[in-house]
Amino acid sequence: MSEMSVIASRGATAPTVGSMTDDISAITLHWRRPLWWLLTIAATGLLTSVLVVAIGWLFYAGIGIWGIDWPVVWGFAIISYVWWIAIASGGTFISALFYLLQVEWRTSLNRVAETMTLFAAVCAGIYPILHLGRPWLFYWLFPYPSTMGIWPQFRSPLLWDFFAILTYVISSILFWYLGLVPDLATLRDRATTRRQQVFYGVLALGFRGEDRQWRHYRAAYGVLAAIMAPLVISVHSIVGLDFAGAATVGWHSTQFPPFFVFGALLSGFAMVLLLVVPLRRLLRLESYITQRHLDVLSRLMLMSSLLVGYAYIMDVFSVFYSSEHVERVSFMAKIHGDYAPIYWATIVLNIAIPQLLWLRRARVNELLIVLVSLGIIVGMWCERYTIVVMSVRRSHLPSAWGNYHGTFWDWATLWGTVGLFLTGMLLAVRYIPIVSMFEMRSLLQKRRTPPGDSP
Amino acid sequence: MSPLKRPWRSLAEWESDPQFLARAAQEFPGLAEALASAHSRRQVLKLMAAAFAMSGIAGCDAGAPGGRLIPAVKSPPGIVPGLPNYYSTAHVIDGFATGIRVAHQMGRPIKVEGNPLHPASLGGTDVVSQAQVLEFYDPDRAAALAFRRHPSDRQSFLAAWTRQRRSLMNTGGEGLRILTGTITSPSLAAQLDAVLTRYPHARRHQWEPISRDNVRKGAQLAFGQGVDLVPNLSAVDVLLAIDSDLLSSAPGHLRFARDLMSRRNPTRIPKMSRVYAVEPTPTLTGAVADHRFIASPGELQWLVAGLAARIVRGESPPDLPPWIAAVSADLMANRGRALVHVGPDQPATVHALVHAINESLDARGKTFYFIEPVAYAADQSASLSELVDDMRAGSVNALFIIDSNPVFAAAGALGFAAALERVPFSVSLSLHPDETFSATTWSLPMTHAWESWGDARAFDGTATVLQPQAFPLYDGYSPHQVLALLNDADAPVDSLSLVQATWKTADWHESLATGVVPGTASKKANPTLRVAGMRESLSAARPASLTLILRPDPYIWDGRYANNAWLQELPRPLTRLTWDNPLLIAPALARRLSLTNGDEVRLTVGEARVVAPVWIQPGQHSDSVVALLGFGRSAGGSIANGGGVDYYPLLGHTGTPTLVKTGRRAELASTDHHNLILNVAGDLIKHGRLTDYQQNAHFLRKDEPPAHLYRWHPEGPAEWAMSIDLNTCIGCNACVVACQSENNIPVVGKQQVIHEREMHWLRIDRYWEGEPDSPRSLFQPVLCMHCEQAPCEVVCPVGATVHDSEGLNVMVYNRCVGTRFCSNNCPYKVRRFNYFAYAQEEHRLPESRNPDVSVRARGVMEKCTFCLQRIAEARIAADRENRPVGTVTTACQSACPTQAISFGNLRDPSSEIVRRKRSPLDYALLAEQNTHPRVTYEARIDNPNPALTTRRRGA
Amino acid sequence: MPAIFTPSANLAAAVTLLAIATIGLGAVAWWWAWPRTDYARHVRWPLSQPVPFSHQHHVAGLGLDCRFCHATVEVSANAGLPPTSTCMTCHSQVWTNAAALEPVRRSLANNTPIAWHRVTDLPDYVYFNHSIHIAKGVGCPSCHGEIERMPLTYKAKSLTMQFCLDCHRAYRGANRRLTDCSICHR
Repeated sequence: MSEMSVIASRGATAPTVGSMTDDISAITLHWRRPLWWLLTIAATGLLTSVLVVAIGWLFYAGIGIWGIDWPVVWGFAIISYVWWIAIASGGTFISALFYLLQVEWRTSLNRVAETMTLFAAVCAGIYPILHLGRPWLFYWLFPYPSTMGIWPQFRSPLLWDFFAILTYVISSILFWYLGLVPDLATLRDRATTRRQQVFYGVLALGFRGEDRQWRHYRAAYGVLAAIMAPLVISVHSIVGLDFAGAATVGWHSTQFPPFFVFGALLSGFAMVLLLVVPLRRLLRLESYITQRHLDVLSRLMLMSSLLVGYAYIMDVFSVFYSSEHVERVSFMAKIHGDYAPIYWATIVLNIAIPQLLWLRRARVNELLIVLVSLGIIVGMWCERYTIVVMSVRRSHLPSAWGNYHGTFWDWATLWGTVGLFLTGMLLAVRYIPIVSMFEMRSLLQKRRTPPGDSP
Repeated sequence: MSPLKRPWRSLAEWESDPQFLARAAQEFPGLAEALASAHSRRQVLKLMAAAFAMSGIAGCDAGAPGGRLIPAVKSPPGIVPGLPNYYSTAHVIDGFATGIRVAHQMGRPIKVEGNPLHPASLGGTDVVSQAQVLEFYDPDRAAALAFRRHPSDRQSFLAAWTRQRRSLMNTGGEGLRILTGTITSPSLAAQLDAVLTRYPHARRHQWEPISRDNVRKGAQLAFGQGVDLVPNLSAVDVLLAIDSDLLSSAPGHLRFARDLMSRRNPTRIPKMSRVYAVEPTPTLTGAVADHRFIASPGELQWLVAGLAARIVRGESPPDLPPWIAAVSADLMANRGRALVHVGPDQPATVHALVHAINESLDARGKTFYFIEPVAYAADQSASLSELVDDMRAGSVNALFIIDSNPVFAAAGALGFAAALERVPFSVSLSLHPDETFSATTWSLPMTHAWESWGDARAFDGTATVLQPQAFPLYDGYSPHQVLALLNDADAPVDSLSLVQATWKTADWHESLATGVVPGTASKKANPTLRVAGMRESLSAARPASLTLILRPDPYIWDGRYANNAWLQELPRPLTRLTWDNPLLIAPALARRLSLTNGDEVRLTVGEARVVAPVWIQPGQHSDSVVALLGFGRSAGGSIANGGGVDYYPLLGHTGTPTLVKTGRRAELASTDHHNLILNVAGDLIKHGRLTDYQQNAHFLRKDEPPAHLYRWHPEGPAEWAMSIDLNTCIGCNACVVACQSENNIPVVGKQQVIHEREMHWLRIDRYWEGEPDSPRSLFQPVLCMHCEQAPCEVVCPVGATVHDSEGLNVMVYNRCVGTRFCSNNCPYKVRRFNYFAYAQEEHRLPESRNPDVSVRARGVMEKCTFCLQRIAEARIAADRENRPVGTVTTACQSACPTQAISFGNLRDPSSEIVRRKRSPLDYALLAEQNTHPRVTYEARIDNPNPALTTRRRGA
Repeated sequence: MPAIFTPSANLAAAVTLLAIATIGLGAVAWWWAWPRTDYARHVRWPLSQPVPFSHQHHVAGLGLDCRFCHATVEVSANAGLPPTSTCMTCHSQVWTNAAALEPVRRSLANNTPIAWHRVTDLPDYVYFNHSIHIAKGVGCPSCHGEIERMPLTYKAKSLTMQFCLDCHRAYRGANRRLTDCSICHR
């Protein structure tokens, strides 16, 4: 069943080592300025400038321009932060964990996944600083020998969150770039214009594909992958601990760390699909990113959706199993309070709709897959809204119950980061090989040569 | 517990209101005002960025010392930089004085404390006198003398007045009129008399917008002579308060509150008193009552008549509500220990009847006594309408309006403003450039009471010398100076010598030091009751139609304090409303007219018409509509102008009011709109009945405090703690303003309150219990609990909130980066966040701030500190002399008129706080959270009448 | 296929990487060191004052007690800066015509205060109390240095928060923890 294999292996589309490298490198080296690209990057560029304005105004006017109030002191900043960091971790999961597991279908996806991780992590990384009342003092979270003779407080989950996200952003950048080096070298060698030669030549850091270089390279990449894989778990467990560590109603739950990791996987897979389906068409990558990939990703998405569903059920269970009256009232406010639609949207988008993916017909229907993934991305945002806002709205003292709604600037910042993310992706598509050529090569080699004496 | 017993916070929850979240529907809230206020925020941000980013690296010293140090040329005597001075004076409202002590720093008045030696204060203060600090420094005060609204100077005024005076002298003061507020000041009275002798044909008029005529007339009616009744509430076992203002605004209300509530905590006194209240709309007295009965204003007269019939003549008139029997029985059973008090809104006949009742209850000399009237007696409303008639007739040539604002407050049927235009020479003396100030030919800025000498008398006649607290901020006249001008234009006007002349017999310096002129209490009077004239008033009608009740706003009063931001933003005790005065209507009426909070209505009385939003007031009689006066100022100052609705135009118009829904809605800033109820109030505000308490004092202790692994005890030499007695809290908010004044808490404005960003460190939660039509209200002051296991401390990434060695939960503003995690983790939600640079944008002079407390920057969290600055002072003083730390009084504690708040050191076995913590009623809020709060409460005990307890309470 | 880079490119690459590393480390080092420098803290940095007042002359020379001018140092948080009248207690008798003292005489004559330049500046959120330090035997020199050797007054110690803590960590008065934030911040 050819269209279900990781590489189309019959007819005109059957790629060889050479043709594959030609195809992929051509995308960047002989860029055809497609209209869709120009239009989208214009749009996303606009959104990005909105972000710049929103941030400028925030620093100038103060955090009061947001909808946060008393008692809901955390709002869009935290919601979107968790949302982005989750999307990011999903990507790493594919690129790092599946690499260690030697999953071969990953090969043609990992570049997209890593790039996605990178820009999602950047978007996430902005928020914790914007979130501060006095952002210009963010470095006080960093343990440095100040003349104040005092240190950050290591009991606070927020501090570890700060470390985690820092580590995560840095290592994702390294991982992404290291994975890029051999392909940059390929582009350098195939470059036709002087400018391209110098550009990719500098970036390739003098990688010439010697045996020694390859040996070191594989070692380094393996080590990094081994570091990244657990990071996915750690970074998101710690985000979960930000909430679980608090005594707040609706947050104070031991299941949050795994729950958040499940959520990360779900949104990660959804975002990869959301990017891959259009890209393979627009960039004619059908023969490298095949139906099989979509199928596998959909299955994974279904699996993680089930995991998240389990977490939701446990959430309800623990509320009613515990004798906490407050928890119950707060939960009731969630399911038929003012913001009930958001809670139900979470359930429908993240759990109900993905069940379609049990059907194979659904898994090969690209439009459907896109819609489901989009739904999940939105649903995950709603989930964070439910967690962050609704819990704090109904705390222990009725006299301290409140309402919350995002303002123009909340939305502007959120959409701005979306713009930033997409701009990043589009630039990546333009300037770097969006499919890892050298890994594809080894994959094709393996096909040709009987196992055992692969390079 | 039945759904009706389930306590609830706001009617929106009761009848799940579709409009409740209308606000959330707004597209982009916040954008508009953010843009609007941006400009003022620019400089602030620069400052913040510079100062605080630098301090991040620098720390204890900004590194580069900028600025100058400016010592005095000759150091003023008695002033030590860094140490406070206290000067006693009094705050006078509607003529009556409440003793205060003003704290100074470097000669600047910065805080008001009560005067323990003054009979009307006993150390407590009310909201308004606390807010005088802001009033005094108000940038909007009248600063320049004006002639027909154009700046002028004293010379030209004096010239004009001298010309005027000459003609007046010839005619013996024909057409010279002087309009003042209620006057108790002997010096002023003397001056006025002098004026009248000098100008035999001149007339003086005395008038307050909030009239107490009925009280005076009632006494006239009952005794044929003017007498003041002084209740002695500490001796009262059974009190019946009829639409009474005993706890809110009656002259001496602080004293009454202290006396009345001193009998409410069964753990402290052998015999607990019982309070009945009957009223058309909830009052503070009704809120503390054991039984609260609701009656329309019309019914009240009929009920009182019935009560009189029972008690005075032992008859039992038919078809009275059953409770009357029980109440009158209880009153008669407690002869000589009972008292009936009626508020100034009830007609004179009712007052007369009540006098009769009290006489036959044999209460005189036991639960109250009579004194000679303190204020100069005058039928104020008559006096004013007389004046206006003469003005219209054109027979008024010269009118002096001294510290009164009739153009605003005598609008309505009387039409003062129109009449004023016919007066050729009119002079107004006002603190603010108000409506009257800009309507007279000559307008003189008045000195604040803290800027000139004066005197005034308390509810019992005790006199106080008002001494100036500072040199005048603006070039103003004092009332004394103006009256002196009237007497003799060229005489040196020196209020000090005037006042000294009045009190030459008294020990001047002691009077100043103590704030009380010894032995000046009024003589006791012993009038005889005239039984005649009682009968016909018994046949009082019982109209069942909608009636409009005009009341002063509890805080900005008749409008004179409308420019005081503290008072504007202070949540009203029962509505929790700020910055606004919607029409208060009963839930039943709201249902009938299908109105919800914020719906706008057109209120018509006779030909007068006002458009105002409505607010549903639980526990109000469905036949009554309550309008609070004082808002809707047109020339009140930048804070006052445009806020709320002006109901004065309705004054004097007769006819049943009609309400018509306009269909528009208004946004109202109530700190209650987000305050619903979660679990039964019993868990939050524990309350029970005296009978149960007597059987088992610990009956409210459901379970022992939960076991805990890490009980934490401070290692330091002191262990601070607070106890709040819910039995004696009357919800008056004095503590809230005191806290605001002491701790430089900024005002945020109406929009920010609507955004749920109010900053008060101390809030008084008000819970309703029962059904909307006749609920009971429960008050609970909530402030930082200073938990021993504080959830806020563990989550702060920079350690900006930590525990100190004396058990305080300390908030270090300058370390805070504003993650707001602490607020999330606080179960009591007592932490407040500076979303904008509120303090820097305040409409307030920096001189008025307390120099001992940091002014918080934009983006930092803040909260109650247990008045850390006061603790630090005591700590340092003690350590200097190597003795254990002495007593510390927090701002809220010292302000509380009923001593509901107690604060102290648990290590000091002799201290009051230790006694209170041992009370069987002591309980911790949200104890199940295991935070071990340092603030605990004493559960509220009621003393209901067994004869009535079968009926649902509060009904 | 021709080589894109000359062999020197390898060197260039190495140098660039090295440079980046050094700049990075340098920045961190500077960030750490700068606020600790006397320069940044304005330590030993005499300010020109309206009157060239010499503590050296008045304290070491004439043996005046600190409290003669800084009168409230034992009772109040503020040590107290002497009013003009204090200067004139002596200078109405001695150096009555000294040109240097002209501002002082003018100040008294026109009743306009002398505006001295700040030598040390306490941030608004720090509440230092002189009296308790004096009472507990922490003398003036502990923070102000050998003031009696200063012809023109300058800041002698860094007066960073670290500086305060060094003492507060070392001593504990009446079993009180002097490192509580509430000791200095309100």
